[in-house]
Amino acid sequence: METIRVLLVDDEVEFLDTLLKRMRKRQVEAAGVYSAEDALRYLESSPVDVVVLDVKMPGMDGIDALKAIKERHPLVEVIMLTGHANVEVAIQGMELGAFDYLMKPMDIDELLYKVQDACKKKRLHEKRIQKRKGVEAEEENGTA
Amino acid sequence: MASGLRRGLEKWAKNVSGWFGLSLSKEPVPEESLEDLRLAFQNRYHHFKLLLNANNRALEVMTEMEEMLQGTRPFGMTFVRSRCTQVSTAVFQIIQHLNALAPGKYTELYERFRAIQKQINPYISIPHGSVSGPLVLPMDQVDKESGDLVGSKMANLGEVRRHLGVATPEGFAVTVCGVARFFEENDLQVEIDRRVQAVPSDRLDDLFALSAQIQQLIIAAPVPEDLREAVQGQVQALKERLGGRLRFAVRSSSLAEDLPGMSFAGQFRSELNVGEENILQAFKEVVASKYGVAAMTYRLRHGLRDEDVAMCVGCLVMVDAVASGVLYTRNPLNIRDDVLVINAVWGLPKSVVDGSVSPDVWVVSRKEPHTALERRIGEKSVKYVCYPDEGVCRLETAGDERRHASLTDAQVADLARLALQIEAHYGGAQDIEWALDGSGRLVILQTRPFEGRSAADRPVHVAGDDRGVPEGVEVLAEGGVTASSGVASGPVYVVRRDADALQFPEGAVLVVAQALPRWAPLLGRAAAVVSEQGSVAGHLANVAREFRVPALFGLSGVMERLQPGRTVTVDADQGRVYDGLVEIRVERPEERQALMKGTPVYEALEGVSRLILPLHLLDPESPDFSPKKCRSFHDITRFCHEKAVDEMFRFGSEHRFPQKSAKQLKCRVPMQFWIINLDDGFAEEIAGPYVTLDQITSVPMLALWQGMTAIPWEGPPPIDSKGFMSILLEATSNPGLDPSVASPYGVRNYFMISRNFCSLQSRFGFHFSTLEALVDERTSQNYISFQFKGGAADRTRRILRARFVAELLESFDFRCEVREDAAFARLEGRSQDVMVDRLRILGYLIIHTRQLDMVMGNAGSVQHYRSKMLQEIETVRRAEGVSCP
Repeated sequence: METIRVLLVDDEVEFLDTLLKRMRKRQVEAAGVYSAEDALRYLESSPVDVVVLDVKMPGMDGIDALKAIKERHPLVEVIMLTGHANVEVAIQGMELGAFDYLMKPMDIDELLYKVQDACKKKRLHEKRIQKRKGVEAEEENGTA
Repeated sequence: MASGLRRGLEKWAKNVSGWFGLSLSKEPVPEESLEDLRLAFQNRYHHFKLLLNANNRALEVMTEMEEMLQGTRPFGMTFVRSRCTQVSTAVFQIIQHLNALAPGKYTELYERFRAIQKQINPYISIPHGSVSGPLVLPMDQVDKESGDLVGSKMANLGEVRRHLGVATPEGFAVTVCGVARFFEENDLQVEIDRRVQAVPSDRLDDLFALSAQIQQLIIAAPVPEDLREAVQGQVQALKERLGGRLRFAVRSSSLAEDLPGMSFAGQFRSELNVGEENILQAFKEVVASKYGVAAMTYRLRHGLRDEDVAMCVGCLVMVDAVASGVLYTRNPLNIRDDVLVINAVWGLPKSVVDGSVSPDVWVVSRKEPHTALERRIGEKSVKYVCYPDEGVCRLETAGDERRHASLTDAQVADLARLALQIEAHYGGAQDIEWALDGSGRLVILQTRPFEGRSAADRPVHVAGDDRGVPEGVEVLAEGGVTASSGVASGPVYVVRRDADALQFPEGAVLVVAQALPRWAPLLGRAAAVVSEQGSVAGHLANVAREFRVPALFGLSGVMERLQPGRTVTVDADQGRVYDGLVEIRVERPEERQALMKGTPVYEALEGVSRLILPLHLLDPESPDFSPKKCRSFHDITRFCHEKAVDEMFRFGSEHRFPQKSAKQLKCRVPMQFWIINLDDGFAEEIAGPYVTLDQITSVPMLALWQGMTAIPWEGPPPIDSKGFMSILLEATSNPGLDPSVASPYGVRNYFMISRNFCSLQSRFGFHFSTLEALVDERTSQNYISFQFKGGAADRTRRILRARFVAELLESFDFRCEVREDAAFARLEGRSQDVMVDRLRILGYLIIHTRQLDMVMGNAGSVQHYRSKMLQEIETVRRAEGVSCP
């Protein structure tokens, strides 16, 4: 699979920096920002496959960030990360289109698998869209 | 459960026979473009894999919950909450993926999920909403009715003051509302829960780090203005009444301290002699001590939720004690003795409680005039006194003070009388902390019910009733006092510093200089405790009794005499430490059954388990096997798994691949095998009609191929004449099985592959096998399914052969099922190495069992072939490289 572009969003600087290092060691193209607002700004300018998003952050929280990301970049997959075991938030996140929900501390490989799965889903989704466009284009050509 | 699995397997087997429908499908399905087929496959397969992942995760967590339900291992609410969240998210994902496999078909499941989730929530929700009441309460207004507001420690103190007129310190209490106010203002509980969850709790060093972090967090949080004002108002009022500059003892008072069977001994911090200006800082430190290591470990072991241990803080005017101590109105080692036991030291009672000196001990008759039956004057090497300004000073005692009795006989009798008065008021034995102030007045600092019950159940060493030294055993140390009864063995582990404690091994004998409360967290792991100094009245002794860990205190010089790592046996009753493992029969009461049972945390787990674990949907054929009937998360999981397998294996009958897109395998010469690349099964795009082995990247296919080719097939075994006849008969009566009847798939063997997936439909003459495997580094989603069917011999022989194959595969960990003449085998969740090995075995079997049914009538030759095949399988498993046959 080609390189996966991941954006990590967490206000815990130390946690995020460690995670970034470990992701890069595993050949993932990872970038990190410390707030949901910065994440949205980042997404405007840089293509991203998967966002790993902390649920609880000062300022815009993870759930609002998830909504905003899904609205503006529907193809981007989001994995929610949290220090709380909160069923309601977990289910809400997934209903809003999050790919998965992970609790800290998580195994780095587990996160990596999820990132790969999420990216795979995105790629398949893109292929289907492309295909549909192709079909529509053909139909248009046919009627023209 | 077992029958559920079995049925699942059968059902699955039935589906597999229709899988891909290559050679067996009757209805022709329109051909699709390779691109469409690939996309459809990839999409479906992705969802199917993720569903299997989520399914495995859900089942794993359920198993974990089931184990914890035995109640023998400690766990906290963090466990219950995080496992519920894990199961819920996994089950939710399972439903999502099933609905992706079959759009719109199973949406009803979401409603069931919601309904079950709603019932789970109350068990795991974190209570919030504050208790209403005053933030602080002066001690004059406190009595036993105030327990819910100020904790039992302060409530008892207020009670004896108001209703018995007993002297107690002046002061006030920050109530449970005051402490809650402080937590809410800073959103502390949420942050604490978050940090607790983020740390695996069974490692001591992690726990120490976590505890330090949380305590710092609490201490760093500001006290809200209203609470600050309330506290300062109380201080001001006391100043006006008492005059001068005030110093306080700031002590914890927990709402949980009344819980039966739980002492909470020495868990929470007390700050002594705190200047009035620092009272809020001390308040925070005391509140923070709820997250001390000892307290956190204790809650975990007793199944208490954080919220079960609400803290209050008593701010009591400091009593500058001349002498002080702890007394029990009953003998802690034998409640049936008609005595009181008084421990006393010079200065503040700190040195009794923390076990740092050997106190004076009086065993006093409960009857007037309370004569001392036993009088031991301890070596009181240090004492704690108040600094005039703030803080507590540890002083070396002067030579004669050291051995001088800290109480007169008259004071001892007065104290006994006072204690029995309190006992009578409560109607139960008491554990009392007292002080003698500068004016000779006895002040009660604390009184609480004496938890002597469990100690009383235990066999107690009676003086003169010596069991004697077992023959041929060396006594390493002798003497001391029995702090907790019993005998235990283990390797010696000397703890001098906190750093030593971090590595304390399970089951070791803890050897320390002083019986400090600091070592309490180790008692859950220790076989026994031996100390050079310390008293029966100390916190560590209390905890040792509660945990039923034999403890022998006051063995001077023992640290030198016990060699670290050496196995010793501690006989706490007899006051001896023996060399080596010595069997001493002690009549011990039964270990406490399932320590977690009946605790609030356990009840929460039990409650959620009822909604998660039971499996009601057992029979997939039953009309009750439907979303409506799903009553637990396990039901939903089971239902979805069943349906997902159905939906997935329908892929084959719903799709037909374009034949021309198949590449023929070329191995020096073209082989009778065709390969369809579903995704990334080839190293590169291949233009021509042939593909070679080195162009194939499929892990499972290559493993299978290794097995198929490692040993050349010798051709059909020589058959007896009956066997030959049966082939002929079957062949003539079933034209569908006649290999000479033309069919596009009849002679072709198809691999459909991706890098980690392989599906093989093969037909050799009369034999069909269907194999599907998913193998990658993610162990949890790995699986192999294999079906072996057919044969040209009569039904009996074919059945025998299916059994033969199943038996063989069972010995390699496959779950097998034989129905008629078909064998179904399945293997899941093993590592890549194992999967590759098993695929080789299957590859070998596909080739080499081809016509075994012909010899199946003959027991002798069956045996012969079995051992020959097992031998060859070993060769196949060791074979290296991929080769052409």
